[in-house]
Amino acid sequence: MKGSRRLVILIMLVVCVTMMAGSSAFAAAKVIKIGALFPLTGPAAVSGQNCVNAVLAAADLINKKNADIDLPLAAQEGILGGYKIEIVQADHQGKPDVAKSEAERLYNQEKVFAIIGCYNSSATKPASAVAERAKKIFMCGCSSSAALTERGYNYFFRHAPTDAIESNEFVDYIAYLNKEKNAGIKTLGLIYENTEFGKHAADEARKAAKRTGLDIVADVPFNNGATNLNSEVQALKAKNPDAVFGAALGGDYSLWVRTMKQVNWLPKIAINYCTGYQNPAVQKELGHDGDFFMGGMGYSPELAKKFMAEAMKVEKRYYTPRSNQPFDSDSIQEGIMLHVLAQAIEKAGSLDTEKVVKILRTEEFPCGMALSGTVKFAPGGQNIKTLSVITQIKDQKYGTVFPLKYKDTEPVFPMVPWGKRN
Amino acid sequence: MSNFLQVLIDGILSGLLYALVAVGLSLIWGVMDVINFAHGEFLMVAMYICYWMGFILGIDPLFSWIASGIFLFLLGCVTYKVIIKNSLGKAAMAPLLATFGLSMFLKNFCMNRFTPNFRLLSGTIMEGKTFNVGGAIISVPQFVTAIFALVVIILVYWLVKKTRLGWAIQATAMDKEAAELMGIDTENIYLLIFGLGGACVGIAGGLMTSYLAVHPEVGSLFSLISFVVVALGGFGSIPGALFAALLIGLVESFAGFYIAAVVKYVAVFAIYLIVILVRPKGLFGW
Repeated sequence: MKGSRRLVILIMLVVCVTMMAGSSAFAAAKVIKIGALFPLTGPAAVSGQNCVNAVLAAADLINKKNADIDLPLAAQEGILGGYKIEIVQADHQGKPDVAKSEAERLYNQEKVFAIIGCYNSSATKPASAVAERAKKIFMCGCSSSAALTERGYNYFFRHAPTDAIESNEFVDYIAYLNKEKNAGIKTLGLIYENTEFGKHAADEARKAAKRTGLDIVADVPFNNGATNLNSEVQALKAKNPDAVFGAALGGDYSLWVRTMKQVNWLPKIAINYCTGYQNPAVQKELGHDGDFFMGGMGYSPELAKKFMAEAMKVEKRYYTPRSNQPFDSDSIQEGIMLHVLAQAIEKAGSLDTEKVVKILRTEEFPCGMALSGTVKFAPGGQNIKTLSVITQIKDQKYGTVFPLKYKDTEPVFPMVPWGKRN
Repeated sequence: MSNFLQVLIDGILSGLLYALVAVGLSLIWGVMDVINFAHGEFLMVAMYICYWMGFILGIDPLFSWIASGIFLFLLGCVTYKVIIKNSLGKAAMAPLLATFGLSMFLKNFCMNRFTPNFRLLSGTIMEGKTFNVGGAIISVPQFVTAIFALVVIILVYWLVKKTRLGWAIQATAMDKEAAELMGIDTENIYLLIFGLGGACVGIAGGLMTSYLAVHPEVGSLFSLISFVVVALGGFGSIPGALFAALLIGLVESFAGFYIAAVVKYVAVFAIYLIVILVRPKGLFGW
């Protein structure tokens, strides 16, 4: 009797274990793991966390049924007939070496299908090199170094406008101001972090300035995460350029603005690359000190109200509850890349990387979260449909000032001096 | 000329701030031979205290530095009692690794609790205020911090050099066993030193909140510069820390303006390397 009871228990155990194993295998089979590699700690952590939240919001959009949102994949649950996207988060701390090792870990140990990242161009470069060697997909949302899509990679795709595109737009805007508004902007100063992103932004700015005859009178690189930017701002002030192009992330951006206030100096206009300027949290902390600065953007709540109604639904339902703020121009691009990748997988009909890559290279993807409305990649991975506008911030609201098609605010220039602000 | 004066003043103001941050570290290192790896995170904690006191209670950093100084004094004492005391006399690296662990804990605790967001305290009494000296613009918050730094450093120096307690501290630093034989309670001296070290960085952090952003990583570079200041000035030497900090502030400022902003830390660490190679015990070390 005892023996048969033991036998029954043993059989039940085996059945239970088999069922559990079976169910987990089944569950595992219905999940597509995607790595989200961002700076979750370090100087750019605020932006990194926003990017992760945007990717998670896009995953919710894909995984859940959202019948009221008019975006591809929104009305269905998951892709490939029920596969759910699972985001595996990883932190590169803004360090290229950590980004490389984390990318290796994500592909080799976590077995992710693709990685989305990395915000810092300097981290994106080595991490995407890992992907290229492993023949795995790397989706880059907002890293803007033009060099990233000039490597001829096959598995790398980038949404953001490059520093080259933004630099040309900046100088075109200055030319427009000079011609139409008699702005008298003849000299340019550059201030940029001494990283892959900052250096490339400065390179492109130099090329664009040369094209339009702007004279670069101050060229100031700085170490990100510095204790002070006194020397840097003093160097700008000493040369007193009419315009400044800035490439400084998060805390460095706010320190730069505060230091300019401290030394009581401003150029006629200051235009920023995809930097701390775009971050609502940084602007909130700066308050009115942040007013009248300009920057390139692909998203702002003001733009979204006019042109991106569906993106606002995603923002309200899935992003703002996580981040307690609206999308910013950087973060939304990371979400867009997951949305595009999911569409490519759905079109490929399988998780065969080569098939998905072929779709990514050849198809055009509708995406209402992008200002342009669609995404299409050129050889090398650059999104040729990318669109960026120049905005000016006032009272923490981003008004669009250029191109004229999107203009909704009259620009304030020269910038109102520190002493004449309320 | 005004550029030169501006750069000179910027260098002095930065240097005095570095001196205030470093003086506590120098005391602990010099007296106890313990490297407090959590020094930068102590600074961060002080900044968060003053930030939240300003944000929630509306207390200006001009006053809340008292609270951060007291809190960091207590944190220093608790750190000694709970962590340092238990690691002293064990493996040589034990106190260093213990404080490294503490630094990781504090940084990640703040990261988790307050997120990595950069927080700037707006509307403070000194915000945006400047005055002019010979064409150079001086920021009031930085100037006030520098004055406080000078006063605190002089007080600490007076305490160590001119009081019986200070003589006891010096005796403990020179020969702990001999000091105990003379009736000095070295246990309490160690406790006091850790508390004092915490208080100095607490005051510095509190005042810095009026013009610098607070975030979990804010202590890292200050911590690195503090180590350089202490090693350059000489372990335990308060005048050494002051001189070295001023030197670093000036080198940083002049190199940053006259050579290139990007080389300012290169110049700082180059000076440090040269001094350490020529005089390993630091400029004022015994």
